[in-house]
Amino acid sequence: MILDLLKYSISNLWNRKLRSFLTILSILIGITAIFALISFGQGINKYMNDFAEEMGSDKVMMMPGGGLASSPGASNILYTDDDLEFIKKIRGVDEATGMLITSGKIEFKDYREKYPFVIGISLESGEKKLVESMFAGIQIIEGRDLKKGDVLKATAGYSNTIPDRMFKKRVSVGDKVEINDVKVEVVGFYEEIGSPTDDAQYYISLEGFREIFDIEDYEYIYLRVSPDRDPSDVAERVKERFRKRRGQKEGEEDFTVQTFEDVMAVFTNMILILNGVLVMIALISLVVAAVNITNTMYTSVLERTREIGIMKAIGSRNRQILRIFVIESGILGLLGGGLGVLLGYGIAKIGEFSARAAGLSMLRPAFPWWLTLGCLAFAFIVGAGSGTLPAIRASRQRPVDALRYE
Amino acid sequence: MLKDYFLFSLNNLKSRKLRSWLTMLGIFIGIASVVALIGLGEGLRNAINAQFGFLGSDIMSITATGGFGPPGTGVVDPLTDKELNAIKNIQGVDNAAGRILESGKLAFNNKVAFGFAASMPDGEDREMMEHVFNLKAEKGRALEDSDSGAVFLGYSFLEEDNPFGKPILPGAKVEVLDEEFTVVGIMEKKGNFQLDGMVLMNEDDLRALVDRADNEYDIIAARFNENADAARIKLDVEKKLRKIRDVDLGEEDFSVQTPEAVLETVNSTLLAVQIFVYIIASISLLVGGIGIMNTMYTAVVERTKEIGIMKSIGARNSSVFTLFFIESGLLGSIGGLIGATLGFLLAKGVALIGRAALGSELISADIGFGLFFGAVLFSFVIGSFFGTLPAFQASKLNPVDALRYSK
Repeated sequence: MILDLLKYSISNLWNRKLRSFLTILSILIGITAIFALISFGQGINKYMNDFAEEMGSDKVMMMPGGGLASSPGASNILYTDDDLEFIKKIRGVDEATGMLITSGKIEFKDYREKYPFVIGISLESGEKKLVESMFAGIQIIEGRDLKKGDVLKATAGYSNTIPDRMFKKRVSVGDKVEINDVKVEVVGFYEEIGSPTDDAQYYISLEGFREIFDIEDYEYIYLRVSPDRDPSDVAERVKERFRKRRGQKEGEEDFTVQTFEDVMAVFTNMILILNGVLVMIALISLVVAAVNITNTMYTSVLERTREIGIMKAIGSRNRQILRIFVIESGILGLLGGGLGVLLGYGIAKIGEFSARAAGLSMLRPAFPWWLTLGCLAFAFIVGAGSGTLPAIRASRQRPVDALRYE
Repeated sequence: MLKDYFLFSLNNLKSRKLRSWLTMLGIFIGIASVVALIGLGEGLRNAINAQFGFLGSDIMSITATGGFGPPGTGVVDPLTDKELNAIKNIQGVDNAAGRILESGKLAFNNKVAFGFAASMPDGEDREMMEHVFNLKAEKGRALEDSDSGAVFLGYSFLEEDNPFGKPILPGAKVEVLDEEFTVVGIMEKKGNFQLDGMVLMNEDDLRALVDRADNEYDIIAARFNENADAARIKLDVEKKLRKIRDVDLGEEDFSVQTPEAVLETVNSTLLAVQIFVYIIASISLLVGGIGIMNTMYTAVVERTKEIGIMKSIGARNSSVFTLFFIESGLLGSIGGLIGATLGFLLAKGVALIGRAALGSELISADIGFGLFFGAVLFSFVIGSFFGTLPAFQASKLNPVDALRYSK
């Protein structure tokens, strides 16, 4: 029965090829845009989540007041070594390490100098482990990691291994670069992170950093919470203790303590909201497509008035007529959705490749199963939904009038 | 003659009211959203431009570059007295003054906020700064050379909804980076979030507060003669600084910017975002156009017999073409007219609600005659573009076949 209905609907659509094609095209375009946009939103979301997962939920970050709103190296409110020791002793804090950061002038051979961030990290065994977990699974792909005792040695981000991205020629393991006119040997390179700022960075030991720059104090402190403690509770405790240490009142702190999950959530939410706005705008085109389907179906009801009359005369029920037209418009929607998903996939892939070529490989789409299924279902619902009114009109026709219609 | 075409087309559209309305509905949804988005986008751009509007056209700013972030941060090789004096001596430059900018926190009423503090130079240079930024006091007075331990605050500190819970008035004591300062005055409202949130203090105070060397500057402001050629002065400044700082052309570690150039950078970024949004929004117009094409093809099929009759009594191909072409153009432009009106109302409504809800001056709608009529014209173009193929098909019908055609 259903099979007959399907066959009948498809042959009807086939008879009006051009019109069906144009209707499908109109829904296809909207689904393509929505599929591609959401796949990018989901991709970035997944990237962030994977990163947070690698890092673990037991990390807490201390930043200058105002959080990450001010750019690195810009703050006057810093943490001293004494501060760090104080924090390490707070109950619930398993380990803590400070990060020195500033932008430095990097010179390599005679090529044009660059100004990436230079980051000073601790190489003491306990702190080193925490530093490693902050890298969240980002591996050294060439050379070696920094180890205890390295002073004027540095590891560098991925962009330094690509000619013309940082310098005209790539930097190799063993090469010397000058950081603020101090010669430093590059011992290793990290894999690609996918954001131009991060991939340009240089990492050096705290001792080396202090030798090169006139900066003693940390801009960020990272802590790991003891395994049996709740990170938010520990963050609160650290905040309270540190506030007392600095003699500040509640609400008047010049520092920010946040669990890493909260920090990430802020970014993820921002991206999802932006993505949501774009998807909403793209949805407008689906509304227009729905109107097109309604229009096509009304026309087709009108054209087939006599046919409907005959069907009714030989015993079709209203329900059956209704079903025929709803299925027909549903098929229009579904076909548009299917093709739209395919095309959207293609466009997202093209977008991924061009982003990668531009060094932005963190912009990559993800294709969860629910996205494909959701797009198909949505397209079908839009199709069937916008075909309902015309279908009702078709089903309510009086057989006598319909037969007489010219 | 043309009038007949129009009447005929209008009649045809009227006789298929439902279908015509639905087709136009498609167009006007598309046009309404595009007009509304462009209106809001332009409004945003104007609001941002207004943020820069306070700067005179007779000033340029010189900063050392390298690194990221706001001016003066992460700079390796800062500007010094040497650069300042050299700039002062360039022909056409009336005066130049150096300033330092520092980020920091300000505490008042047991609450803190984070922002920027900027220094004010002494004497003649102060007058120049006051003139350039039009620094007049709304309450109290501006800074004077003899002030020490005093700050002059931007207008936002005076507002009820500042982060401190109550307005800061002249005479109040505030803590900047944990040192106490007396507020001598509040600046007039500038409508620029940076200036309105600025903390100004005398140079000696700021240097002592953040422990900066005496001869370093984050930014040098140079004022030039209004009749002078800004582009030439900019080149001269760049040349001088390259020599002093010993860098080659194309490898400058400083930048010289006129307010217009700053504005241009902001505008080009904004424009890229706007264009992306418009492209996504115009997808719905494309879909609307396809709707018109569909309707017109259907109309041609339905009226095959009529076309046959017209042709057999002497209508030319071109007349048949014109007939259908005008019909689709009408669909487009009527849809566009309604859509542009709706879009106008929508944008104004969103701006009104947005302002009330968020209190942000960045949300405003700017829809001029150009945008409005441009949109109507554009929808006419869409209508006639997507109507061309169907109209062409109609005009090419063979009269004999057309007369014989039955549904």
